[in-house]
Amino acid sequence: MAETSLPLPAAAVRSRIRRRSRRGDARAHRLFVSPAVLALLVLGLYPLLFIVAAAFSESSLGKPFQEWVGTANLEAALLDADIVASLVRGTAYAVGVSVVSLVLGVVVALALRHSVASGSIVRTVLLLPLIMPPVIVGTLWKLVYNPGGGLLATVTGFAGGDPASVSPLSSSAWSLPAIAVADVWEWTPLVALLVFTALLAQDEEPIEAARLDGAHGFGLFRHITLPAIAGVVAAAFFIRLVLAFKVFDLIFMMTSGGPGQSTTTASYIVYQLALREFDVGMAAAVTLLLAVVVTVVTLPVAFLTRRLQANHES
Amino acid sequence: MSTAVVAITLAVVIVPLAYLASVSLMGRDEVTSGVLVPATPAWSNWSDVVTGTELLRGVGNSLFAAAVGAALTLAFALPAAWAIVRYRTGGATLGGTLMSPWLLPPIVAVVPLFTLLRILELNNTLIGLTLVYALVNLPVAIWLLEGFLRRLPSELDEAARMDGAGPVRLLLSIIAPVVSPALVSIGIIVAILNYNEFLLATFLTQSDDAQTLPVVLSMFYGERTPHYGKIAAASLVGIVPVFAAAVLFQRRLVGGLAAGSVK
Repeated sequence: MAETSLPLPAAAVRSRIRRRSRRGDARAHRLFVSPAVLALLVLGLYPLLFIVAAAFSESSLGKPFQEWVGTANLEAALLDADIVASLVRGTAYAVGVSVVSLVLGVVVALALRHSVASGSIVRTVLLLPLIMPPVIVGTLWKLVYNPGGGLLATVTGFAGGDPASVSPLSSSAWSLPAIAVADVWEWTPLVALLVFTALLAQDEEPIEAARLDGAHGFGLFRHITLPAIAGVVAAAFFIRLVLAFKVFDLIFMMTSGGPGQSTTTASYIVYQLALREFDVGMAAAVTLLLAVVVTVVTLPVAFLTRRLQANHES
Repeated sequence: MSTAVVAITLAVVIVPLAYLASVSLMGRDEVTSGVLVPATPAWSNWSDVVTGTELLRGVGNSLFAAAVGAALTLAFALPAAWAIVRYRTGGATLGGTLMSPWLLPPIVAVVPLFTLLRILELNNTLIGLTLVYALVNLPVAIWLLEGFLRRLPSELDEAARMDGAGPVRLLLSIIAPVVSPALVSIGIIVAILNYNEFLLATFLTQSDDAQTLPVVLSMFYGERTPHYGKIAAASLVGIVPVFAAAVLFQRRLVGGLAAGSVK
């Protein structure tokens, strides 16, 4: 564009500067999000392509993608009773611990609001299980369940029971619930703190008005408090569900998937296949199945969360 | 009633931790003899794990990966979150897919990342793990930051633009100072996530001098007859940094956690 020597009106000059700077700004903004895009490529797209390619090929840890085998890995995975059982087990576990954490977390949050003690010391103690390395949470509970001398066995002895009979981690019926207790202990504080913060931000007016109308106790909670915090509760449930599907450290430290297959979840099977047996093709097939299961279970919760939060804003 | 529930909750949290502290002072025989408190505290457990094992190096490596990883995450997250919130850079695609890697168990990415780091010759190095951490928590950090940035009035930006500040200066001299409390909160949360991470660490740092704390602790069970007293002592040493964070930054941690879920 040729520059004219005529003086331009000031507005035109300003708009031209603005246009030029806007284009530069857009470039800057693209640069700003580039690390996030890189993270998506390195942690999202690349692993996804890798997993899909590995699932449809003969792959070992050292030599991925040796030959194309079509859906053989997926078929073998779906026909493997252990793998199907681990997917079902992991899902039941995730839903179970999430529901328990949610109920306990909401109860603790409500109690915190009405309790005489809800100061910073209480909140700090609540944070502790949340911020400990999960490897240490696993160690801690392994010691509690330790047969013969652990906390649980010793207390059973005091109560007149037989301490030798207490060994949850070596019973195939009790090992998964025992891990679930550790999981709930670790993550319930997260739900409690999120809901408690939402309760603190609540308007007092509708509560007072409802009180004057004679609402109290559970009715007050159901019609006034619950709708106000529903969005946060749903979000907390969603986060909790995702975390529960990811459980690995606790199983690794407490039971290594045993006894038998009783605490083997899909994550743990993927670990065993890929890094113990080096069968990356099969591990990738299980990973794809796990991705489908996680998506199917968490999507409705994500939609519900979005709807509740939108309702709350309108 | 409420106070009773809170008291029970505190007991449920504290009792197992107190038991861990008690076990850390037990000799090898006491652990299996059904006592809750050791007769004579075996402080040697503590001195043994501190002086005779890789524990302190593990803690040091973890602190490095946690701090440097978190700093990188924050440096990447602030410009990205600001561009996404103010200008919808990347549009619905970026916004919608940003959190997707977080949804799947990390085991999914282990083998591909292992392969990638091997190509980059960063396998078995603390630097490689730290770079992975910097990216792993970036979506979470952006997600938490968005909540804070949405609450900032856009007049802030406009006023600075009128004065002719470009996007980089605007970010560094206007936005960053205003959201610095949020940056500190999110930085602490991300650092704790890094400090605690086990799965990636155990596969990406298999050499002794790069191992982080959770990996070192998992090795304690490798012995034929694990000494539970020493394992408990080592665990407590490893917890010290995160508990210090809890005590010092309790308010910030709770605020940072809450910001993400209350949009």
